[in-house]
Amino acid sequence: MSLLRLVPRQLLRHPLRTLLTIGSLAVAIFLLCILRSLVTTLEATATTARNDRLWVQSAVSLFVGMPAWYPDRIAQVDGVQNVARWQWFGGYYQDPSNFFAQFAVDPQEVVEMYPELVVVEGSAEAFLAGRNCCMVGRGIADDFGWKVGDVAPITGALFPHPDGADKAWEFEVAAIYEPGARNFDDRTLFFHWKLFEETLTKPDESPGVGAIVVRVKDDADPSTVMGAVDELFMDGPQRVQTTTESEFQAQFVSMFGNIPFFVSAIGGGVLAAVLLACINTMLMAAREQRREAGVLKALGFSDTRVGSVLLFQSLFLTLVGGGLGMFLAKGIEPGVLGAMSAIMPGFMIETETLGLGLLITVLAGLVAGILPALATRNLTVIAALGARD
Amino acid sequence: MGGIAFSYHLRSLFVRRSATLLTVLGIGATVAVVAGVLALQQGFERLYTEAGREDLAVFLRPGATGEGDSVFSRDRGRRLINTVPEIAVGSDGQPQASMELYLAVRLRRVSTGGETNVPIRGVQPGTFTIRAGEISLLEGRQFNPGQDELIVGRSLVGRIRGCELGGTLVLNTTPFVVVGIFESEGPSGSEIWGDLDRILECLERTGPSRVLAQLKPGSDLAGISARLKNDKVVPAQVMSEKESLSSQTEMLSAVLRFLGAFLGVIMGIAAVFTATTTMLAALADRTHEIGILLASGFRPVGVALGFLFESLLLGLLGGLAGCLMVWPINGIETGTTNFQTFTEVAFGFRVTPMVLLVSILFALVLGLLGGGLPAWRAAHLSPVKALGRR
Repeated sequence: MSLLRLVPRQLLRHPLRTLLTIGSLAVAIFLLCILRSLVTTLEATATTARNDRLWVQSAVSLFVGMPAWYPDRIAQVDGVQNVARWQWFGGYYQDPSNFFAQFAVDPQEVVEMYPELVVVEGSAEAFLAGRNCCMVGRGIADDFGWKVGDVAPITGALFPHPDGADKAWEFEVAAIYEPGARNFDDRTLFFHWKLFEETLTKPDESPGVGAIVVRVKDDADPSTVMGAVDELFMDGPQRVQTTTESEFQAQFVSMFGNIPFFVSAIGGGVLAAVLLACINTMLMAAREQRREAGVLKALGFSDTRVGSVLLFQSLFLTLVGGGLGMFLAKGIEPGVLGAMSAIMPGFMIETETLGLGLLITVLAGLVAGILPALATRNLTVIAALGARD
Repeated sequence: MGGIAFSYHLRSLFVRRSATLLTVLGIGATVAVVAGVLALQQGFERLYTEAGREDLAVFLRPGATGEGDSVFSRDRGRRLINTVPEIAVGSDGQPQASMELYLAVRLRRVSTGGETNVPIRGVQPGTFTIRAGEISLLEGRQFNPGQDELIVGRSLVGRIRGCELGGTLVLNTTPFVVVGIFESEGPSGSEIWGDLDRILECLERTGPSRVLAQLKPGSDLAGISARLKNDKVVPAQVMSEKESLSSQTEMLSAVLRFLGAFLGVIMGIAAVFTATTTMLAALADRTHEIGILLASGFRPVGVALGFLFESLLLGLLGGLAGCLMVWPINGIETGTTNFQTFTEVAFGFRVTPMVLLVSILFALVLGLLGGGLPAWRAAHLSPVKALGRR
């Protein structure tokens, strides 16, 4: 007879306690998966970007533009196929809390360089054709109720409209895109550089160029191109810093500083709390089962086999709880993805994270089960049979 | 007879000390995590709110959301300083005001070499007059006006490359030497300061970002604000320094508060489950005793309250344990980017009395919730059946 049949029986002896322990574990593993995924999602932003696109920015500051003649000069560098100007517009829709990204760009080049922009309503041609047209992401189109043909009024906090700070810039929605790749967000508005430049007529308002995106020729070496571009402006007037798109994204990840570390520390706290809960339950179980253990030993079952019943109870508890937690986390994934698309696009619970969750679950089961199992194994038959609850 | 002696409950917690200890530590870990996040939020927010002064006015370009996207031309800034009558006048007969340039520059961390954005501030001598007593030099000396020299906030030393006495920071193409390290309350402790004109020129900026001015006592800030909003010559938005600083904390503070609440609820569920398990086991152990209590005239309500009390005690002990666990992080310095200004700020965890209070209350709530079901069960035991248990 296999003693393992006793495992579910013993767990059902206190159904409520078993449920509560499974519940604690499910909650903890759920939380660990979500926390870990925040970190991996953040890191993935940097690794999934393309390396044939380079970002040229001022080496001085994120907030400083480059002279207007830089793009033409960069386009002449060997190995450069195409360049596109980008300028952070920094405006908002109706209220400053409606925060999302808007960029003035060279529309033709951006459409060519970014196959990730998959137009699902309207058309890229329509966006290119009209100077006052814009292309917006599905996320903000849904949030603000914009449809193709609508006018999106954007107040320019950074670039006030020349007719007055209260007057909004107006862009006609000609295309709505959805991201064709993970981590490419669906909350950006692109509008024509020409409109931007011609609206800001006063010379002292000229912003220069915020960023220049360079598409490298397929047969060219990106790092050679990067070096060549940086070299051009080494002595001024404005030094530049050329990075691959993934390094560019990594800058933003780096800005979070110690936050990923804190998230891990929080995970440690969660783990400690739930481990204590499991140990608590298993110690109680071991105490209650002492007499039965004595009976089994008296019947001739080996000490190790009798002890292992407790270890397997522990593993069973944690595996069910942990499994439930991972299932919950995976189930809530689309919800988190939607809720966080503005700050952290592409939220995803990776298989590695689930693997880590499983590992932690098994370890918790072993740690919580090993002490009671050893104690039970070492019980003498006399002491065990004489035990009272 | 209603209540059961306090010592009875203390002793029963002690008798079952391994379960008590595990539960207390479990609640403690939960409380510590929540308290840690709150301490982070407090450290961040207080950095801004405690340093802000009500008697300093900040003038920004209309429509700007902060210093980062505000700009005046030099002439307009000068004009503002000379024409606003509420600005205090110093002993030298000059208005006590200063034009400041603010820009986040790209620098690298010492630890990882990763890039971050550090605020640089070009100031006029007026800033030091206004801030007399707030800024103190720890090492080295003050920068000389007109020279390519900088002083750096203490929080940057050891964290940002080049930010050390004698270090060099290249602003675009011009090397600047770090000649001093200063200490300051508030976010300016994470800034680099230098001469306004030199920095304007080297960074090719069109003009300062803001005007900072000491107001005459009793000045009506709202009045100045309303008047200048639609000024024909130099329109500006005006606020107190305190207001200007606290407006920069909203986003990160909200995120941290949300994180604290989220963790509190989720981990709280697990902690309540643990407390319930423990109290249920206590109930099972003591069924016989409870039978005796009920038979000798104690009312079921009293027994239930006793269990709740015991559970609250578990919660309280857990809360105290949590506070002890979180205490060592008090004062530990850390840094992250304030995404409202897009610059990195350094701040310490602050385990404030508020944090401790919230932690203890949270732990008590956990204990109360965890004791609910066992207490209900205890009250509904029949004395006869309870006595019948071994």
